Amino acid sequence: MSPPSAPASPAPSDPSSSPTRTPDCAIDFEGQSVPAVAGEPVAVALFASEVRVLSRSIKYHRPRTFFCLSGHCGACLMRIDGQPNVKACRALCRPSLQVERQNAFPSVGFDVLEAADFFFPRGMDHHTMFTSPRPLNVLMQKVVRELGGLGKLPDQAPPTLPAGERLRVDVVIVGGGPAGLAAATAIRRARPTASVLLVDEADRVGGSLLSWPGAGPGDGLRSAQRLENEARQAGVELRTSATALAWYPEDEGGLLAIDDHGHLVRVRAQRYIYATGGYETNLLFGNNDRPGILAARAVGLLLSRYGVMAGRRPVIVGQGAYAEALAQALGRAGAEVTHVDGERVRAVAAHGNTWVRRLDVEEGGQTRRLRCDLVAVAATPAPATDLPRQHGAQVLLTPAGGGFACQVREDGQTESPGVYACGDVCGYRGPAAAQEDGERVGRAVAASL
Amino acid sequence: MPVKVILCRCEDVTLADLEHAVSLGYTHIEEAKRYTGLGTGPCQGKECLVPTCLYLAKATGERPEEIRPFTARPPIAPVALGTLAGATGGGGEDQGGQAPRGKESAS
Repeated sequence: MSPPSAPASPAPSDPSSSPTRTPDCAIDFEGQSVPAVAGEPVAVALFASEVRVLSRSIKYHRPRTFFCLSGHCGACLMRIDGQPNVKACRALCRPSLQVERQNAFPSVGFDVLEAADFFFPRGMDHHTMFTSPRPLNVLMQKVVRELGGLGKLPDQAPPTLPAGERLRVDVVIVGGGPAGLAAATAIRRARPTASVLLVDEADRVGGSLLSWPGAGPGDGLRSAQRLENEARQAGVELRTSATALAWYPEDEGGLLAIDDHGHLVRVRAQRYIYATGGYETNLLFGNNDRPGILAARAVGLLLSRYGVMAGRRPVIVGQGAYAEALAQALGRAGAEVTHVDGERVRAVAAHGNTWVRRLDVEEGGQTRRLRCDLVAVAATPAPATDLPRQHGAQVLLTPAGGGFACQVREDGQTESPGVYACGDVCGYRGPAAAQEDGERVGRAVAASL
Repeated sequence: MPVKVILCRCEDVTLADLEHAVSLGYTHIEEAKRYTGLGTGPCQGKECLVPTCLYLAKATGERPEEIRPFTARPPIAPVALGTLAGATGGGGEDQGGQAPRGKESAS
């Protein structure tokens, strides 16, 4: 194990770039007291205190920490408050919150099961592995049973279960980024009597804007606040920390299931709008799962929302407006930034044991070694189409748009009547375009009611 | 530490695993998913779906527009069983209720 080459430290208090982080409580991390800001994600508090490895991967027990910091990558599952497999990027800090790592023996810091990583240097085909002779197969089944699974059950059953809720609204909007907020406001302004519910899985609305760093037009936090205020003033019901789980077409003529702070809400609406944005994706290169290789938007979120500098010597890999903005913001905050485009200069392999220390890149057949303490991957986010697909939307693989883009008509309606999509879920175009799209689709939905 | 190209972070599926599956003839996204287990972890393919499809398009010569994603099965995010059980009424419909008391759960 080696310590990172530079500690995470609070970002300098340049008001144009980011807030200052001031811990005001402490969480309990495996018996250790870790300073935290009440209400910030557990993953952020641990990162700021240089806890580098939050989990071990399922087969090879490779060290892992969060990649996306937005509830999607599944790499930060921890045991929190006695509950297994809780996303550390979504669980919020409060005094004495119990946080433990899982899926390792004897500990996540030193995990002997990591031997599997060396036994299977390229990968494994479990279909043909240890299938004969029979006694070996029987033995291996036992071993695999012991090793399989993720997390341990809670110590005790909860005394009561959270009650459910049923809601009937005119319009439900999934996703509170620029597209969803703009759509919600537009509907209420055009139809002040329509009930509009907007749900977002994060603890505040704003979506991709929250990770957009810098001052001026790129100041995402300010834009997010403005859009939120407008939606509230227009009378939109906003629910945060509320994750839309599924569209169940068979139940009661179809319902949208939402996990709202652990309570299940079953929503039926006249119109459904999916403004689900995009998921962070990684690039394919050697050891691309090494801790310290983060989605660029996670790095931006750390800096601009939580006031944490993710690294002093970052390498940004990727193109586009977001990569540029992040490079500038990190530079303004005092980092020594290297920015490569990821195509002409391609990432080949990352090095470092529990934290990235070097990235090898290739340019015209030549390999260069870049020393670093952070790699920010700025790949085009993949449209988050799982829910609209369940709800009948058609998608098309469009590499320039980041992946499978929702196909919609001029008014934003999908193949499925009454089901709409807007913003980056229809192909990544960024927050300004998403907001415009949301407004337009919101007006069309209002007119259809 | 061995250098692996991780395609599916949740299930530790490598690019070499996908290449192996393709070499055995599993060139459809559903086949690749079933053979390697990619996309079956906590994130349900949010990260690996697109790179896998683009790889398969290249390997088979299919045009990207012809490739469909694998089925997005509900729920799309992990959810506590208590959340579902409470909603359907342990002690009454939509009223939450007592958690069932069975044998102490084994870990």
